[in-house]
Amino acid sequence: MSSKYKILVIEDEKNIRHLISALLEADGYQTVPARDFSNGKMLYFSHRPDLVILDLGLPDGDGTDLLREIRKDSLIPVIVLSARMDESDKVEALDLGANDYVTKPFSSAELMARVRSVLRTAALHTGTGLSPGGVFTLDDLTIDYGARKVFIGQSEIRLTHTEYDILSYLSRCSGKVVTYSAIIKEIWGYSDSGSIKKLQVNMANIRKKLGAKPGKKNYIENELGIGYRM
Amino acid sequence: MKKIPRLLTDAAITVALLTACFVLCLLIQTVSGAHALIPAVFILGAFLTALSTDGYICGMISALASVFLFEFVFELPYFRLNFTVTDNLVTSVIMIVIACITCTLTTKIKKQEALKSQSEMEKMRADLLRAVSHDLRTPLTTIYGASSALLENGSGLSGVQKQKMLQSIREDAAWLTRMVENLLSITRVDGANVRIIKTSTVLDEFLDAALIRFHKRCPEQEVAVDLPDEFITIQMDALLIEQVVINILENAVCHAEGMTILCLKVSVLPGKAVFEISDNGCGIAKEKLRNLFTGYYQAENLPSDNKRSNAGIGLSVCAAIIRAHGGTITAENRKNGGAVFRFILDTEEAPDEQ
Repeated sequence: MSSKYKILVIEDEKNIRHLISALLEADGYQTVPARDFSNGKMLYFSHRPDLVILDLGLPDGDGTDLLREIRKDSLIPVIVLSARMDESDKVEALDLGANDYVTKPFSSAELMARVRSVLRTAALHTGTGLSPGGVFTLDDLTIDYGARKVFIGQSEIRLTHTEYDILSYLSRCSGKVVTYSAIIKEIWGYSDSGSIKKLQVNMANIRKKLGAKPGKKNYIENELGIGYRM
Repeated sequence: MKKIPRLLTDAAITVALLTACFVLCLLIQTVSGAHALIPAVFILGAFLTALSTDGYICGMISALASVFLFEFVFELPYFRLNFTVTDNLVTSVIMIVIACITCTLTTKIKKQEALKSQSEMEKMRADLLRAVSHDLRTPLTTIYGASSALLENGSGLSGVQKQKMLQSIREDAAWLTRMVENLLSITRVDGANVRIIKTSTVLDEFLDAALIRFHKRCPEQEVAVDLPDEFITIQMDALLIEQVVINILENAVCHAEGMTILCLKVSVLPGKAVFEISDNGCGIAKEKLRNLFTGYYQAENLPSDNKRSNAGIGLSVCAAIIRAHGGTITAENRKNGGAVFRFILDTEEAPDEQ
């Protein structure tokens, strides 16, 4: 790794903090450990990290408040860490601007994959990793933003206007869980009681056209009750 | 607030039963003149009142009123109270005594029944706790023992041994995680205020998420999936139903010996979705089949070897979750070997527009 990413780890549980730091350092990242809310806030502003891993249950404050403060300041990626969260907690954290969440207990491989994915997306957004000509690729799926066309391998997949818009929006947020309400707002601009059903039907068609089989690795992951991740 | 309606309904029941007895007695008197039946009818009335109301007071009032009515209407001299006749006095006293005793007995029986169901609940809880603490201790012992061995005499162990110990630590920690998830689910669906949150969930999105989670836990186990083509949504607490599917699949992996095929099939009936998870393993022993979903753990059923069976808890969690969703769950053995678990949930109406 040419330039080390700096990652701020805010976690009150000492063992978990050490574990995460050790895992990150083993993968060549630089870590800044913080043990609570105030400590984390101070280190965030003094170290300017590239990524924050934030535990929501902190002894001296609510992690979501810290997330709000970080979002007021910058768009740097934040992965939220928490013991078994309800769907509503996850939606809240994502809508507050968290890029991803990991529930405890987590496997080290999963956490590292999330970290890589979030940093990749961040690089894409800052323009450093953007593919030429506005093309998105994921495995053998290609989206040509200019021509509004989608391919798997060489063959073109025919999508409706709305289906394409949804897929292209998800691909632009690749690596991040996009909540239902965020997609609805982006595609239809308004939200009523029927719009979530409209979204679900469109997603079912997209999955069918992309040849998704339940339980097998797909281009789009389902986060039940929350949203989708591409 | 709750006390007043109860009192009112009790009073209504008392009055209704008394009136019924009275009318019946009038009929008997006018039609057949079988006079001896009348006290028996009134005693029956008082007994029924005690049985169907909150107990004592209504039963007693009913008994006294019965005696009064009996003496007043049906005994000579008609429409006058006359306790100077020895016969009348004796019948009245006997009626009151019998009525009092029946009232007391019915209230006692009711109390005992309430106590019994309460103690049964407590027994179930105690059984569950006993099973859980037994099941928790085993993996904790492994984790504690293996990690201390690695820390204290790590240098004396071979690489293979270390690897094995680390592996068992991970396996047992994963197992503990599952157990804790199940217990959390129980606390959500058990008890008076069920905390399930139903949302409209698309069937294939749901199964995709559930199967991916299952594959993370059991990467070696393939699942053959058979789904209907239609677009189906179900009102469910997806996290909990996901746990049901995973528990049943894992149950097959742990207990269906000799299994080569594990199937998950969903079929659609009008307004219902039938989930069927079947295997071609050794099937379920008959005596286990009966108590499969009750979580009943008898001491002799506890595994004596190293193989632990969290099936009791896992499947009772499944049953509680499905029940809380208003669905049904069953298990049976297949004719040509293996077991099949089936649960049924209501589907939502199909959306009218695309």
